[in-house]
Amino acid sequence: MNTPEKKPVEVVLVDDHRMFRSGVRAELGTTVSIVGEAPDVDTAIAVIRQTKPPVVLLDVHLPGGNGNGGIDVLHGCKGLETADGQPVRFLALSVSDAAEDVIAVIRAGARGYVTKTISANDLTRAIQRVADGDAVFSPRLAGFVLDAFGAAAGEVAQVDEELDRLSAREREVMRLIARGYQYKEVAKELFISVKTVETHVSSVLRKLQLSSRHELTAWAMGRRLL
Amino acid sequence: MRVDPEPTLMRADCTLNTVGIGCFVRQDEDMPTPYERPVPPTEARAAERRAARPTLTRPAEGKVIAGVAIGLAHHLGWQVRWIRLGLVLISIPTGAGLVAYIFLWALTPQSRGGVVGRGRRAVDPADAAAVAAAGTPVTEQVTGTSERDATRVLLVGGLLLGIGLVVVAQKAGLNARLGILIPLLVVAAGAVLAWSQLDDSQRGRWLGSEAGTKRFSVARLAFGGVLALAGLVIMATRGRSFAAIWDIGAAVLAVLAGIALISAPWVLRFWSDLRHEQAELARATERADIAAHLHDSVLQTLALIQRKAGDAGAVTQLARAQERELRSWLYAGPSDSDASLATAVVEAAHEVEDLHGTPIEVVSTGDRPLDDGGQALVRAVRESLLNAVRHGAPPVSLYLEVGPAGVEAFVRDHGPGFEVGEIPEDRLGVRQSILGRMERHGGTAKVRRLEQGTEVSLGLPPVLRPPQPDPHPENPQPVSKETREHA
Repeated sequence: MNTPEKKPVEVVLVDDHRMFRSGVRAELGTTVSIVGEAPDVDTAIAVIRQTKPPVVLLDVHLPGGNGNGGIDVLHGCKGLETADGQPVRFLALSVSDAAEDVIAVIRAGARGYVTKTISANDLTRAIQRVADGDAVFSPRLAGFVLDAFGAAAGEVAQVDEELDRLSAREREVMRLIARGYQYKEVAKELFISVKTVETHVSSVLRKLQLSSRHELTAWAMGRRLL
Repeated sequence: MRVDPEPTLMRADCTLNTVGIGCFVRQDEDMPTPYERPVPPTEARAAERRAARPTLTRPAEGKVIAGVAIGLAHHLGWQVRWIRLGLVLISIPTGAGLVAYIFLWALTPQSRGGVVGRGRRAVDPADAAAVAAAGTPVTEQVTGTSERDATRVLLVGGLLLGIGLVVVAQKAGLNARLGILIPLLVVAAGAVLAWSQLDDSQRGRWLGSEAGTKRFSVARLAFGGVLALAGLVIMATRGRSFAAIWDIGAAVLAVLAGIALISAPWVLRFWSDLRHEQAELARATERADIAAHLHDSVLQTLALIQRKAGDAGAVTQLARAQERELRSWLYAGPSDSDASLATAVVEAAHEVEDLHGTPIEVVSTGDRPLDDGGQALVRAVRESLLNAVRHGAPPVSLYLEVGPAGVEAFVRDHGPGFEVGEIPEDRLGVRQSILGRMERHGGTAKVRRLEQGTEVSLGLPPVLRPPQPDPHPENPQPVSKETREHA
């Protein structure tokens, strides 16, 4: 989803490893401009409140705050808006693939989650997507969602609005993402438009954030693997 | 690079995952068992000498009271029943056996494992009868519960027997001086009850989280204490009026309270120091564990990486393997599903990753035990992954979904892609190892060419269906032509 005519996305980079920050800074191309950096929770909140960027790249594990790392930053910046009235959006970035970390940071409000091993191109694309208000699902996150909502076990919502289950279509989309399909490949496979895929993904993200499905947290805690 | 898939699978499984499936498969017939090893005569004698005097320990199993007799029997090489009989015999006139028993109990460490098997065999018929009397079937495996039952039965029986003996002795004209004997017995019983809490085998339960057993332990301790106290009071007030008990009791209480008041600060400080020390020790042990693990894994890998700094591929591969290892050490608890389908598939993917250095994104949901069909699926997945990393292009992804409707696995790469029809007849990789294998196990396999790359989808029906016998059992040589070609 590279749209070259757009001006570079302004990004604040929050990570406690200086080496990683400089690596990302060097890697990201011209479509992204880094307007601020922060190594811990308190600095991060201050920098984000000051710069109000459209996208924050947020490490899950950070020192400072209440000891909850990225989640503290998310809580500290709740309701913040950019200059043109868009909410400040967060893309979680982590070296940990532990389910409880991922689910927790998504439920705290992040719009997506990628691992630190992601390639520069994919990261740029993910940042762009988050800036456009879409959700970013890695195959692994899709797998978590399928597992957590019991979709892999065949539970499917009868009504789309049901928060505790995925609809049949959402399940299909998640399955294809878990299989390593890009959004446009998913669209082609299901004979729908990329926009529709994005809608489905956003709706899954919303369910993930709002669902009171108690198994969700329990599941994430119980599953300390992968 | 020589690629020889099946044997490598076994080997890698054994090293990567010591409880992996491969280890069960790989049972070399010609492997010498330790028992068959010809022992040189001198060594045999030495071993005999060593075996003649095992260390004096108290086994946890097969014991009647504390396992002293069994331990002695092992140590001396005598039969346990003679030891017990001897102990009882020398206890009767002077109580010497009893004293010796308590002494040995206090001084002999409890053994962990090792002699357990022998201890179990050393259970004599009397114990077995007691176990049977307690209403538990006598089985080869004497469980902890039945043991406790047996102990209880023996204690009660012994008490009754003792009373009987005393009565008989009284009748026979022997003056047993009941006034002292009974309080002494009560004190002893209370002490045994309270002290048995300090036994090693009990400590786990004493500190255990199970509320039920803990309450039981506390009750036992309290009961034992009260019993001993009552015995002491009876002994102290022997022959005096009941009113005198109160005076003595008040005096004793006052003294005890005074001692408690004076020593409380010291006791408290001592206790907190002890707790602190224990916590420190636990922390130090943990730190040592972590240091040892990091040294064995991460530091070694870093050293390797420095030496291979020029070889980008090798460095990536090392880093990936190390990352995976560290991740599993950090996040995975003790794995409880050794032979589960998901574990086996993930193992296979990691192994292919190690072989070729191409990262594979593995996503799996659900799980089920590994059966015949599952084994076939694992091998087919492995073959598909090998194909993908050899002929396709990264990123390679693997998705495994285990649900009530069956198992589905997808292996996807981003290479130029191929059609099954285009594969020459003599290339057996896809045809035999993937498609054929899945069909033989009642599963399905499809190869799809996508716009970019190829996707192999594998399916297995739900597990409810009784497994069909495989007409062509997995031969140990599905090494395809195609595999050799790239070897």
